[in-house]
Amino acid sequence: MPSIRRRTLWVALLLGLFVAAADRPAAAQAKDQLVIGITQFPSTFHPAIDAMMAKSFILAMTARPVTAYDKDWNLVCMLCVTLPTIENGLAVPETLPDGRTGVAITYTLHPQATWGDGTPVTSRDAVFTWEVGRHPQGGLTNVETFQRILSIDVKDDKTFTLHVDRLTFDYNAFALSLLPAHLEREAFANPAEYKNRTTYDAATTNPGLYFGPYRITEVARGSHVVLEANPTWYGEKPHFPRIVVRTIENTAALEANLLSGSIDYIAGELGLSLDQALAFERRHRDRFEVVFKPGLVYEHIDLNLANPVLADRRVRQALLYGIDREAMSQQLFDGRQPVAHSNVNPLDWVHAEDLPKYPHDRAKAAALLDEAGWRPGVGGLRRNAKGEPLSLELMTTAGNRSRELVQQVLQSQWRALGIDVRIRNEPARVFFGETVTKRKYSAMAMFAWISSPESVPRTTLHSSQIPTAENNWSGQNTTGFSDPRMDEIIDRIEIELDRAKRKELWRRLQHLYADELPVLPLYFRADAYILPRWLKGVEPTGHQFPTTLWVERWRAER
Amino acid sequence: MMRHLLSRLGQAVVVMIVMSFVIYGLMGLMPGDPIDVMIATNPNLTAADAERLRALHGLDQPLLERYWNWLSAVAGGDLGYSRLFGRPVLEVMAAPLGNTALLMSLSLLMALAVALPLGAAAALRPNSIFDRLVNLLAFAGISMPVFWLALMLIIVFAVMLGVLPAGGVQTVGGGDLVDRARHLVLPVATLSAASIGQYVRHMRAAMIETLRNDYIRTARAKGAGWVRVVTRHALRNALIPVVTILALDVGTLFSGALITETVFAYPGMGKLIFDSIMGSDFNLALTALLLATGLTLLGNLLADAAYVWLDPRTARR
Amino acid sequence: MKRGSPLAAALRRFRRNRWAVASLIALAVIAAAAAAAPLIEAMLGIDPEAVDLLARNAPPSVAHPLGTDELGRDVLARLLRGGQISLAVGLATAVIAAVIGTIIGLLAGYYGGPLDALLMRLTDGVIALPLLPLLIVLAAVDPSKLGLAPEVLQSPLAGVGRIVVIIALIGWTTVARLVRAATLAVRSREFVRAAVAVGAGPARIMLRHILPNVASPIIVATTLSVGNIILLESALSFLGLGVQPPLPSWGNMLTGALELIWSAPALAVWPGALIFLTVLAFNFLGDGLQDALDPKAETMQVRA
Repeated sequence: MPSIRRRTLWVALLLGLFVAAADRPAAAQAKDQLVIGITQFPSTFHPAIDAMMAKSFILAMTARPVTAYDKDWNLVCMLCVTLPTIENGLAVPETLPDGRTGVAITYTLHPQATWGDGTPVTSRDAVFTWEVGRHPQGGLTNVETFQRILSIDVKDDKTFTLHVDRLTFDYNAFALSLLPAHLEREAFANPAEYKNRTTYDAATTNPGLYFGPYRITEVARGSHVVLEANPTWYGEKPHFPRIVVRTIENTAALEANLLSGSIDYIAGELGLSLDQALAFERRHRDRFEVVFKPGLVYEHIDLNLANPVLADRRVRQALLYGIDREAMSQQLFDGRQPVAHSNVNPLDWVHAEDLPKYPHDRAKAAALLDEAGWRPGVGGLRRNAKGEPLSLELMTTAGNRSRELVQQVLQSQWRALGIDVRIRNEPARVFFGETVTKRKYSAMAMFAWISSPESVPRTTLHSSQIPTAENNWSGQNTTGFSDPRMDEIIDRIEIELDRAKRKELWRRLQHLYADELPVLPLYFRADAYILPRWLKGVEPTGHQFPTTLWVERWRAER
Repeated sequence: MMRHLLSRLGQAVVVMIVMSFVIYGLMGLMPGDPIDVMIATNPNLTAADAERLRALHGLDQPLLERYWNWLSAVAGGDLGYSRLFGRPVLEVMAAPLGNTALLMSLSLLMALAVALPLGAAAALRPNSIFDRLVNLLAFAGISMPVFWLALMLIIVFAVMLGVLPAGGVQTVGGGDLVDRARHLVLPVATLSAASIGQYVRHMRAAMIETLRNDYIRTARAKGAGWVRVVTRHALRNALIPVVTILALDVGTLFSGALITETVFAYPGMGKLIFDSIMGSDFNLALTALLLATGLTLLGNLLADAAYVWLDPRTARR
Repeated sequence: MKRGSPLAAALRRFRRNRWAVASLIALAVIAAAAAAAPLIEAMLGIDPEAVDLLARNAPPSVAHPLGTDELGRDVLARLLRGGQISLAVGLATAVIAAVIGTIIGLLAGYYGGPLDALLMRLTDGVIALPLLPLLIVLAAVDPSKLGLAPEVLQSPLAGVGRIVVIIALIGWTTVARLVRAATLAVRSREFVRAAVAVGAGPARIMLRHILPNVASPIIVATTLSVGNIILLESALSFLGLGVQPPLPSWGNMLTGALELIWSAPALAVWPGALIFLTVLAFNFLGDGLQDALDPKAETMQVRA
């Protein structure tokens, strides 16, 4: 026993010495590396298994999709040379054997694009990616996208033509990442085992997996990823030789890490809550620049239209008139998160300006509720003719502070109208995995959709997308909204190539949405990018494509 | 004696199997499987996709059947792949296990190094000012929410004073021994605060109890010096109950400390177990949980054996 | 049953322990204030749930003695309401866990043999499971899959009840072990043998003869566990699995405040201090009770 005690004392003493000997980490060291803090660690590094923001964020530095939306929300070539269009002849509509209209699209990959081990990125990789993607056992999340491609003609090493089974307005968007055939073909020999064999997870630091400005050189699972400049990169040379992405899930600790200098920058994609960022900005304006970018994260409340109370449109409208979204946006979020009037972001070119808005109007809300038969009763609570109280349940993800705050404000404002709102929150996995997907919420579910520019809301508004037990709970029309007018507009938008005509269809869609209100629009979420004053070139996009797709432009400047 | 131990060992194995069934069942009772979560976050997933992925992950079979498959595989030495990380379970667990073992054992050693002398010293003069102070500190240590303490330590030592790193295992890129040790200081301090309190209490109580015993009085009456009595006789006996408690802590050496790990961004078993449960990663969660359970049971067993060995009177109980 | 003098002696011993007495008084004050929350709110004219977006994070004033929180709600009123929840969770859970533990301990200690082995291995198993992960699994279990009515699950207090049940299901082991050990010691004493001789049934013997003699360790362990449970609730809140807003608990108030620790540190001070003081007081109280009730008791095993 005594010997053990002596040793522990020795350890304690040693620890004490280390503390004493420690210097403060130099805040202004030479900027040969950039340390980024985010709140999530990717579980897999395979680009097409599981969709996770942390993964897209990191992989965007190591590889590029064929096309992407830029910060001005225009579709641009990332890996391809010219964006194929019908006008430039690279996309040609064709009639399919079954009589439908399809399209043949020709992409040419960047001539210098080369995997990190020196193997060129070629059409073979595109074909291989398609083979993996459409294989039912490949384990990729999204087979449907690949199955739309009927065949691929390889013209030469860099040029290939896709034959797609439908002609949609966004026919030339090809946001997929190519897989390196020379490394992955062997892992794919047994497709069912592919998800456990892929080089992306078995040997994440293999340079041959990456052709972007950086490649992953070190992975400490749950802690950090180290990226170093990739010598085979064909584009602009990146300014930072090394980038470290550190994961710190607790946002208070994340902030502390930034202040103590152990990270340089907190990414907006996966960073502080807006509340925290606003407080942070007030205190540290001198050292940090906080950029707020409202984007395509649409915070809203899904209404369960199967609930007889909410099936009445007047009640839905009254609910929206009853809340002061403008004041919430101003007071809680410093006006950084614009109020949403429909599912389309005002920054999107198809946004309709002349939408009916629902400003805070208690009298109007009360009148609508009276009309719907909900009259004030004892204790201010509204009841219908049968004496049932107007009581609705409002659910969201537990532990999301921002939502919890908004939720409590909403509850208080609706209560003032005589509506009893009960809050019941669940952990995210339960809420999304069960309650929302299986439409088990009794009245209202508050969450957000993240989309790309001009994203057609087929999965959320088309009547064929209502999740049921029969269709395996797929589709995201969780309100159960079913309106033939909406179905028709959606079907037409998808295949309307004429921009002016499409814009008109979009206008009708938004009007229908705002009139019927299957969903209560709240606001478009703003991400907060906490940049040190010396970091330049980070340009928030406001959509699902991360800023790191342009990481080579990031630089340190005094 | 040997037979008793063997029978207890057998019982421990049965307990493990029962526990594995209970955990498997509870995880199965969690609503929403991983594919449901995927559907909810991915707008383009179709019904066919969902069915295909479910079959691929084996989620389409009944729970009991899945449990049986898992159990037979494990019995055959195959722990399987982690669903989340797509790698063999042991490979995923290796690094966090090492991190956790280091963090937890240092914290435990630190706690013992501080608590045992303090507790024993306090027991020598019960109700003195020193004793009361030790008592107060011990209770204060076990009365703080861990996450609060952790964040306060970060704020004071990493942000305000800037003398210690706020989190992580080591400085990315360059991590020598000193660097690793510096990263351990705050988490170790956080974790040992509570256990110091526990062990001080136990040590003090056990010591007071021992000092009351006749043989101590006899030893003193025979003229043995106070110091000799305490170090030779009392300390040894007072450590017996402390060892039993220590044995119960063996399991935590490998199950980690979720909250401390989260706040200090220290990738250990606590976080891994949490993530695997939340991600319905059955293989990973069960292996990790059962490892901790098994070690605790083993620790218990060894403590019992040690107890019997140190104090033969209990053998006939 | 012996009355009078042992109890009086215990009381005397307890009174001599100043820390314990002070803790008892402190706890009484906190509990009384929490219980009187509606009165205090009425007196100050505060609605604890009224959100005021124009008065966020206001400093202390006459209308709001401790200021307001991030939604403009009165901090004092919320602390008192949070106290109701936190104390209720702590006490209810501790009592339920004690009841489960006592039953299991009595059965194991009294009957011995295979039943004892079975129950003690069960106890070992539960002790050996890492606590937090198990709580997480339990917190995520869908109660409707267990056949509970949806109406029950939707009431605001259902979430609190769930936490109580979850922690109690795991927290009974300490009491079970103590009671078993005490029962073993009492079982062979004369008065138990006498009761058996006159033909008393096992239930009667356990309840009338053994239980009163093992009551002290139960009381002490239960008191000590209240503090632990309040800490556990705050840990669950930190993980987003504790008492859910809008119901306040000290745990979720502290968790919420920590995110804004830099801009509004005062918000974290109050719930933090109350958790600390309350848990501390329960620990001192348990300690005092132990000295008073059972001056020669073995050390307790209370683990967080």
